[in-house]
Amino acid sequence: MEPTRDTHYTLVDLLDRVLDKGVVLYADIIVSVAGIPLIGVNLRAALAGMETMISYGVMQEWDQKVRAQSSEAGEQGKLPLLAGEQLRLKLFGSHYYGEGICSAWRQGYFYVTDRRIALYQPSFNGTIFETPLEAIDGLTIQRENHLFTDTQRENLYLSLSNGNIARLHALDTYKLREAIEDGMTSLGLTTREIPAPPVFDESAARFLDEGEEVIYRGKMWHMMELPVPGANTMDRWRAGHLYITNRRLCWWHDFEEKVLFEVPLREITAVAAEIRQLGTMLKKDSVLDVIYETEQGKRVACFSGDDLPQWERALREIIAQQGAVEEDMDTCPQCGKETPVGELLEEGCSGCGWVNPRLKKQAPQIAIG
Amino acid sequence: MQQNDKTQLAIDKAEALLTGQGRYLYCVADSGERVSMGAIGIDGSKVYTIPYQDICAVVHECRAQPYNSTEGEMVNSWVLAHQKVVDEAWERWGTVLPLGFDTIVMDKDGVGAEGNVRNWLQNDYANLKSKMAKLRGKAEYGAQIFWETQVIAQNLIKTSPEISELEEEMKSQSKGIAYLYKQKLENALKRELEAKADQCFRDFYARIRKHVDNIVVEKTKPGDQNTQMIMNISCLLPRDKSTELGEELENINILEGFSVRFTGPWPPYSFVGT
Repeated sequence: MEPTRDTHYTLVDLLDRVLDKGVVLYADIIVSVAGIPLIGVNLRAALAGMETMISYGVMQEWDQKVRAQSSEAGEQGKLPLLAGEQLRLKLFGSHYYGEGICSAWRQGYFYVTDRRIALYQPSFNGTIFETPLEAIDGLTIQRENHLFTDTQRENLYLSLSNGNIARLHALDTYKLREAIEDGMTSLGLTTREIPAPPVFDESAARFLDEGEEVIYRGKMWHMMELPVPGANTMDRWRAGHLYITNRRLCWWHDFEEKVLFEVPLREITAVAAEIRQLGTMLKKDSVLDVIYETEQGKRVACFSGDDLPQWERALREIIAQQGAVEEDMDTCPQCGKETPVGELLEEGCSGCGWVNPRLKKQAPQIAIG
Repeated sequence: MQQNDKTQLAIDKAEALLTGQGRYLYCVADSGERVSMGAIGIDGSKVYTIPYQDICAVVHECRAQPYNSTEGEMVNSWVLAHQKVVDEAWERWGTVLPLGFDTIVMDKDGVGAEGNVRNWLQNDYANLKSKMAKLRGKAEYGAQIFWETQVIAQNLIKTSPEISELEEEMKSQSKGIAYLYKQKLENALKRELEAKADQCFRDFYARIRKHVDNIVVEKTKPGDQNTQMIMNISCLLPRDKSTELGEELENINILEGFSVRFTGPWPPYSFVGT
């Protein structure tokens, strides 16, 4: 049979292709609707309900038209303005709320007026965040990693006179900043760049204790042993983030959004990296073994991910810094000689010449190389 | 009145400023030429190329705002125009990497929309080139396989031992019990149909795989009462080598209760994503 291109059915087929597929560009340079880049499925949703979406988030120049629309008082779903208050910019965005047990980016529309900035949520007709322009001491924009995606985006930090720092993000963060600065300038206020606040990590903020700081963090797979009733324990690699803080090593499970592994730094006794088979589905890759002490004896936690050598170095340094005078000792499985764990695992036993079978496996490869 | 005129003037001015702030992207083509392709784009826009080294982006100038319409006809005509431009570029330069509808690059960081397109070509150059190398001379074909549920079900009833057994038992039961049997029978038939669809899929997939370079399995779509789509795939193969695939699909098409839709050649939309 011959392929066709010009029937009713082929139009459907073509629509599927042209609407859902094609080369993907960086989301930050393409036009989006209400912060949603128009790619694939999003595009279909946008085409269907664009009329309402377009009246908000799309980057429209702040012009006569928009101002005229926005000044219509008393309309539902809009931030009520005070008498004589002039709207300068309305833009889709979000504010990071991180107090108590709740922490999240909360979305709404930023209203920058001649006297204040407010984030208004039309669905429940409420103001999420608000500050008079006079209360802004300084501001800065930081490019930051978006949580758990590999993209970066700009966030605006406002230092407020009550000592708080507000963290904001908008469809066009620079435009938001510009509008705030314009507003402040016309009130006769001076705008001041503040130093960058410490790197903000949304998940870390949820588990850090008071006075605890993140020293190192990165994406990391972790093998968890899941007890399966009536069966052998199963090995499973899970995606998450590993953190070294000034107190502990802990691993945050992305899916469950909680810390599933943690060990105080002083209980870590050794680290070792080696190439291993990563379960049945995955290929061989480097695995970092962290050996630590518990009341029940030694335990090993396995991690895999990028920059393992760096992690290994960092952890070794920590172990060294703790003045690991008593390097962990183990007995040789062959002759029973007491030898430091690291030496025993990496070099073998100096007494009887026993070598870790894993090292033996690697030995031929090294010889060839 | 005068006030209104002034407002209108301001709006017009803003409009004029806004046009040109976006570049609608059709495709990336295998050529470093800077050419104008004429007013063949969406809504008669002038289409031209933005080159970087030996590749170029095929674009038209527009506002940094998406095309949108709730009218299906309007969207269809835009999509057809999009496809026409990609086709034209495809004919002209042989290899293209098509983009989806409504991909509009905007001004960012003050380099302008056109600058952003060029930056993208530059930053993604290696990736785009390797995709082009893989897709040179190739085209995408769509194949959808349907079956007539009634016909297939009838055949299954005849051939499945489980079902014929149930039917046999049902005959000797009282009315009430027979009703329960009917339910049981329907469930069994449903299971058998699913298994059959699964088996057909694997069988057809293996047969088609031999004639193509790559396959993407798409979601099936709901059919009408009698026909059901059991397979929806996009195939990549040399553009002029569709005969063998066509013959294989014809073999499926002539099976009792089956029918096939075969579309293409399309630019390789399904094989350019990440």
